[in-house]
Amino acid sequence: MCGIVGYVGTRQATPILIDALKRLEYRGYDSAGLAILTGIEISVCKTEGKISNLESKLPQIKGTCGIGHTRWATQGAPTTINAHPHVSGNIAVVHNGIIENYQELYEWLKEEGYEFVSETDTEVLAHLAHRYYKGDLVKAVIESLKKVKGSYAAAYLCSDSKTVVAARKESPLVAAVGKGENFIASDVTALLKNSRDVIYMQDFEVVCLTEEGMQFFDFNGDPIQKKIESIEWNIEAAEKSGYPHFMLKEIHEQVTSVHDTLLGRISELSGEVILDEVTLSNNEIRDLDRIVIIACGTSYNAGLLGKYLFESMAGIHTDVEISSEFRYANPVLSGSTLVIAISQSGETADTIAATREAKTYGCHTLAITNVVGTTLSREVQNIVYTRAGPEIGVAATKTFTSQLIALYLLSIYFARKRKKMDVDRSKRLLVSMKQLPGMIQQILNNKDLIKKQAIRFSKARDYFFLGRSLNFPIALEGALKLKEISYIHAEGYAAGELKHGPLALISKETPVLALATRSSTYDKMVNNIKEVKARSAQVIAIACMDDTEIEKYVDAVIRVPIADELLYPVLSSIVVQLLAYNSADALGCAIDKPRNLAKSVTVE
Amino acid sequence: MKALILAAGEGLRCRPLTLARSKVMLPVANKPILEYIIRALAQNDIKEIILVVGYKKERIMDYFRDGIDFGVNISYVNQEAQLGTAHAINLAEPMVNEKFIVLNGDNLIDEGTIAELIKGASGDVTLLTVMREQTTGYGVVLLEKGKISKIVEKPRDKISHLVNTGIYMFSPAIFGEIDNTPISETGEYAITDTIQRIIEQGVSVTNITSRGTWIDAIHSWDLLKANSVVLGKIEEMKKRGVIEKGAVIIGDVAIGYNSAIRSGSYIVGPVVIGKNCNIGPNTTILPSTAIGDNCSISSFTEIENSIIMNDVRIGAGSYISNSIIGSNNSIGPHFIAEVGKDLKIEMKGILHSADELGTVIGDNNQIGPCVLVRAGKMIAMGCAVDSGVRVTKDIPKDSRVL
Repeated sequence: MCGIVGYVGTRQATPILIDALKRLEYRGYDSAGLAILTGIEISVCKTEGKISNLESKLPQIKGTCGIGHTRWATQGAPTTINAHPHVSGNIAVVHNGIIENYQELYEWLKEEGYEFVSETDTEVLAHLAHRYYKGDLVKAVIESLKKVKGSYAAAYLCSDSKTVVAARKESPLVAAVGKGENFIASDVTALLKNSRDVIYMQDFEVVCLTEEGMQFFDFNGDPIQKKIESIEWNIEAAEKSGYPHFMLKEIHEQVTSVHDTLLGRISELSGEVILDEVTLSNNEIRDLDRIVIIACGTSYNAGLLGKYLFESMAGIHTDVEISSEFRYANPVLSGSTLVIAISQSGETADTIAATREAKTYGCHTLAITNVVGTTLSREVQNIVYTRAGPEIGVAATKTFTSQLIALYLLSIYFARKRKKMDVDRSKRLLVSMKQLPGMIQQILNNKDLIKKQAIRFSKARDYFFLGRSLNFPIALEGALKLKEISYIHAEGYAAGELKHGPLALISKETPVLALATRSSTYDKMVNNIKEVKARSAQVIAIACMDDTEIEKYVDAVIRVPIADELLYPVLSSIVVQLLAYNSADALGCAIDKPRNLAKSVTVE
Repeated sequence: MKALILAAGEGLRCRPLTLARSKVMLPVANKPILEYIIRALAQNDIKEIILVVGYKKERIMDYFRDGIDFGVNISYVNQEAQLGTAHAINLAEPMVNEKFIVLNGDNLIDEGTIAELIKGASGDVTLLTVMREQTTGYGVVLLEKGKISKIVEKPRDKISHLVNTGIYMFSPAIFGEIDNTPISETGEYAITDTIQRIIEQGVSVTNITSRGTWIDAIHSWDLLKANSVVLGKIEEMKKRGVIEKGAVIIGDVAIGYNSAIRSGSYIVGPVVIGKNCNIGPNTTILPSTAIGDNCSISSFTEIENSIIMNDVRIGAGSYISNSIIGSNNSIGPHFIAEVGKDLKIEMKGILHSADELGTVIGDNNQIGPCVLVRAGKMIAMGCAVDSGVRVTKDIPKDSRVL
């Protein structure tokens, strides 16, 4: 997604903005640019391609006030002309979001005599601000944005004064306070090097940065007070510490992140789960007749496991919906429905919009998210934080397993409150969960074996991932991981569905990864393996340590430690992540920044 | 000034504990040995640290990351093949352009040890030595007129009490000498060979004899001694978590966040207990014991002078003394680790001696109820031991014992 940054202070703005933009690279982008106030003029430099491209093109621009942008093309191709900032007269703008009434504004501004040079929707913001500018940039921004329908986090620079003005609606924006300098950015990580004191902006709020400080306004132009929050993350935690890729570092971090997700939330003596941020009363939990999980991408796959858990343990009918579909599907919801929104970043535009939609039906809402203080967490009544720490690799790894853990905790929590699970069962399950970090380490100890299999099949054109019941979501996730970073075409299937179509695609060149850990469907899974073997496919099985049967039917076995049957999805996740990583690495792919993808999808 | 820490080797003599991590990551008082070295350097204001890693490097990188939590800046250099200390040092050449310190990652030191070296170093090469009564297994140095005349690796006879600690201060001139060092009979490039060549060229090589801490845990069971020394020195023991009414805590005991000490438990320090543990009810823990994170110790179990790593469950009514239990073990009730004195322990055909030892257990084992391990016998890694087994010989990796 696009990233925006802004700086006003006493130091040279260019290196600060470039550094901040580099820290937003993970959001994904295809062009970049910046605008610097040089005395009484604005100097703009922009280019398609990487930030290093921009750096090499940069002339010597002196100035201590500026804005910058990384663009992820939505409207208009990724070209230099379409790159931000966009300029109208004495005003430059950078923008993240989508202007929905672009056409209408475009035609009106044309009539007003404005010339358009790019194909982007952002250019209307520049002309609009120019149209309303009468010496006060804050007023011009407010007036112009009142005309705009859509989403934006936008920053404005005007050659008349040393200020940066920024506003937001439905796209992320934070401001940060320094000594004699102030910053804005799309994401906290861009600013941590300079300041840890940040202010999260909310919809329809405007900030005006100067050297001395910052002032906040609402859309009536009235000043408002905002709270400064202190960030505890280390910027270094966002660096690679010796690993070749963030993704591999984050796969290895799962020993710690799973431990952190569990920390303080289980009592193994009493078999209870403790979730402080869940405020639903016992009666409300007992009265739930339906759960709807809304999520996108990897979070959706986690949600599918959630469905299995909520239904089998807590006895609550559960549906899982893709956020962007849910909104337009005229959902049937009531006051006894719980809507669970799952989003790593807490800024996923579709999921936030779907949550807002759900609230209008009077549902209970709950978010499972990794980042504190985000838009999503303000929209909901209940939160379970996954506490996985910052994740930089575009392919979600540790945040996925932490989402799974959060769903296990929540379903046991509901099951106990609804008296659907006896204390003995919950104790056994919780004890097994407590052992997960050690088991994950055990899988990581065998990473070379997984690497060997990944390399062996990395030349494949197509890959199939098969699983049944609670392994099915992991088959989908494994296929998603593989295709998003290695570009190998991969599909996840419920193993029983094979005969209904995909079996036609299986040939001796097709590797099939079969999730065959112990479960009630194990025998059926073995039959499915025989089916694909009969079509001479190459089969890799993920199986339990003590399974001596499986190697008779498959070409390779990757083993996971023995755990409670319900928990194998967590362990298998680590295996499919390592498989995807090593396949992509063998093919020389840009693992942390796969083509065309962005970390947090803040447009709909 | 930069410091270069050699942390690429496995530490074979500490098996089975090193099957899953290298020796530098073995815990003493719940912190890896390497952390003590890094903290000692940081306290002497040496903040630029180069770690030469190889065997199980991910475990080191996962723990230390970029060093920020330890107040230092860490860069990693990968030594692909184990070609000796000189080769490892040479890998850092592009990153060093002034005097630098070299240390082994698997020796316990404190800030005083480093301070002595910095204060006394002179010339292109300075060695840090310590006086030891017993020098078996160590390299020693011979002095002539206050200068080092010879370095002898593991001599059979007692020719000197000055043990080479493997801690050096070098000037960048050392890299040129390393390039001229021939490969040894054992197929490695040893830094001691390089230094010997420098001495033979008539260049003066000095030593400083340290009175600071320097503990080399040669065998896994030597960790118990190191653990007890370090626990005895910790000044501030913080108690977080929950201590239930009726639990008795005597002496210095540290308890980590979210851990619970249940009623009727009796703990005598020095003892450290990590995060997220459940101890008891009615469990006895005696000096000098370190228990890692995420452990559960059930009722009526007694643990004494032992190291229990992370993610370990120990069933009710067990007895563990003078023993080391690796990570992620599940041990059933009524487990007994017999303790013996003056043991001879065979590893790869060579006999080693241990003064007093219970057992050493590697990672990821499933041990059933009522298992007894004879003194000095070890269980490797990934083993399943059925109920009622008497372990009378070492159990190799991935075994199933019925």
